[in-house]
Amino acid sequence: MRGITPRREQGMADPVLAEMVYATGATESRHYAAVKPTIQAYRASWVTIAPRRDGVVNPQRTVVNDPAAMTARIKAKATELGADMVGVCRLQPDMIDLGSEVPHEFVIAACVAEDYEKVMQGPDAVEEEAMWTYARCAEIATELAAQIRAMGYPARAHHNGGSEVQAIPIFYQVGFGELGRHGSLINEKYGASFRPGFVTTDLPLVEDKPREFGVQDFCMNCNVCQRNCPGDAIPQDHVVTHGIKRWLIDLEKCYPYSRLREEYCHLCVDVCPYIVKSHPETYKAFMKERKQVGYKTPKTY
Amino acid sequence: MEKLYVNEIGPDGDVSTVSLFYSHPEAQKIVDTLRADPDRAAYRYEIVEAVRHTLSEKQARRAAPAQKE
Repeated sequence: MRGITPRREQGMADPVLAEMVYATGATESRHYAAVKPTIQAYRASWVTIAPRRDGVVNPQRTVVNDPAAMTARIKAKATELGADMVGVCRLQPDMIDLGSEVPHEFVIAACVAEDYEKVMQGPDAVEEEAMWTYARCAEIATELAAQIRAMGYPARAHHNGGSEVQAIPIFYQVGFGELGRHGSLINEKYGASFRPGFVTTDLPLVEDKPREFGVQDFCMNCNVCQRNCPGDAIPQDHVVTHGIKRWLIDLEKCYPYSRLREEYCHLCVDVCPYIVKSHPETYKAFMKERKQVGYKTPKTY
Repeated sequence: MEKLYVNEIGPDGDVSTVSLFYSHPEAQKIVDTLRADPDRAAYRYEIVEAVRHTLSEKQARRAAPAQKE
């Protein structure tokens, strides 16, 4: 199946970031240039396992007479490996990168939640938590794909070390939640504080369904992420893509805070009120801090 | 930088925004790739200037004194 959704290049391969970095006279974004050893180690971990994203399929195929039971088994395995949420849907063109071919019928999403308590420890702790979570997702997807191939079905892991699939359309279709104003998918338990790993496969599975619980309507009136965005990068207006409201972040305004500084910026996710149910005290304390600085990020953040 | 939307117009006239792009060549490259996909032959594409408002603009409008005619 051929993909139709453009993927923005990362790092200096992104023409928007490259133009902004070169305009400052630098050759690398300050955020990427100032990576700490722990973060480097996490990044190295998903690069190291990238060659195992795909591999040889066992020629002796396990017969699947009950796809529902197999789906339950796969979800249990992903949970055992450390996933906090697991969902399955049929692969669609909008879930695949523009120009890429993915020859599989299903996609399994396995997400790991970030420890929201880290937000109170500042941007370094938040970044470390985010990268740790990405590394865990890469390990889970790699192991899950290997186990499916061992059952005799093609399977490919998609994670930070290599991916041809798009997180948001898959998250929505497997029922993790709805797209929020800040551009991330919102789950009623984890807010937007979770990271993804995926496995595409032909293993017979049973699809989950999208779940809507009012996020898009809520985001029409809640401006908390907008008010807290230091770059004013989150727009007032939305567009519609395949029937879903999308608020497209202005990267020219986002990057000065998220790429041109050394510090990690995760504020739009951290202030999202959907996290309050699972972390009421931390969220309230964090928002009290935010209010004291006028919701804008001080230069020392 | 320019701000441009690429819109996909379906056979039934439904408009779906592909994404936001920051230069005409970047947007045109996406359109050319989509047009080359035989599965999208029934779709049309347009590149339009992205008219975008921010919260600060909304607040500024609210803060502005009312104009009497």
